[in-house]
Amino acid sequence: MLLENKYYKLIRVDDSESPLTKTYHLALIPDCDVYRGHFPGNPVCPGVCNIETIKECAMMLTGKKLLISTIKQCRLTAIATPAVCPEISVEVTATETPQGYTILATIADAQQTYMEYKGDMMIL
Amino acid sequence: MEDIQKLIPQRNPIIQVDELTRVEGDSAETRLLVKADNYFIDEDQLFAEPGLIEHIAQSASAFAGYQALQQGATTPPVGYIGEVKRFHCYRRPAIGEQLHTTIIMGAEVAGVTMLTGETRVGEEVVADTQMKIFVEQ
Repeated sequence: MLLENKYYKLIRVDDSESPLTKTYHLALIPDCDVYRGHFPGNPVCPGVCNIETIKECAMMLTGKKLLISTIKQCRLTAIATPAVCPEISVEVTATETPQGYTILATIADAQQTYMEYKGDMMIL
Repeated sequence: MEDIQKLIPQRNPIIQVDELTRVEGDSAETRLLVKADNYFIDEDQLFAEPGLIEHIAQSASAFAGYQALQQGATTPPVGYIGEVKRFHCYRRPAIGEQLHTTIIMGAEVAGVTMLTGETRVGEEVVADTQMKIFVEQ
């Protein structure tokens, strides 16, 4: 995993009625080195780091190593920063496809939604 | 063309464009050499998919920065990804491969610009996407 314990730490996993839907509660690591460059003096979570975080949660959910083969649509609905949202919840649902999974995910906290994601991931 | 740090607000370790190589009308080209110490090199020693998306976003950012400088700005604008749509990753590039990306900018409405990006290694397309970027005014 590229970003676990570097960009975020896993706090807790909530199960649901379906084995292929779980919610991952994460703490963003405010002194992660990515914020030195994104942006100097103005730490903002890179959207692509949140996309990678969704992929890593999907890998934990499915127990498989995955590649983002397509993103049908990923909307970034609010600017996330380690100050605005020190803790986030990533809800992931996987549906099996011939080559892997269709992944539906949202990143949110109690205040707002930061990302809505839909796409296919392929098993590597 | 210009030093990339004049064209984009990102700094290391997240810089994902080496050079803006061509601007013509509403299209531009950039390049990036994938190096072993790149932030997005994964455990397979390949350039991970989010790195490709960031490379395309920063290619658009460099294009916007170039246009802003031409119009007299002294610092590049800070833009954020608003949406990624119809992204495909055909394969993850390897260390040592040179990425060439073509950006085509669409219309800007209320600070939001739609664009398309295509990244190639040689003649082979490795990723393409549509994206909405919004720029802080």
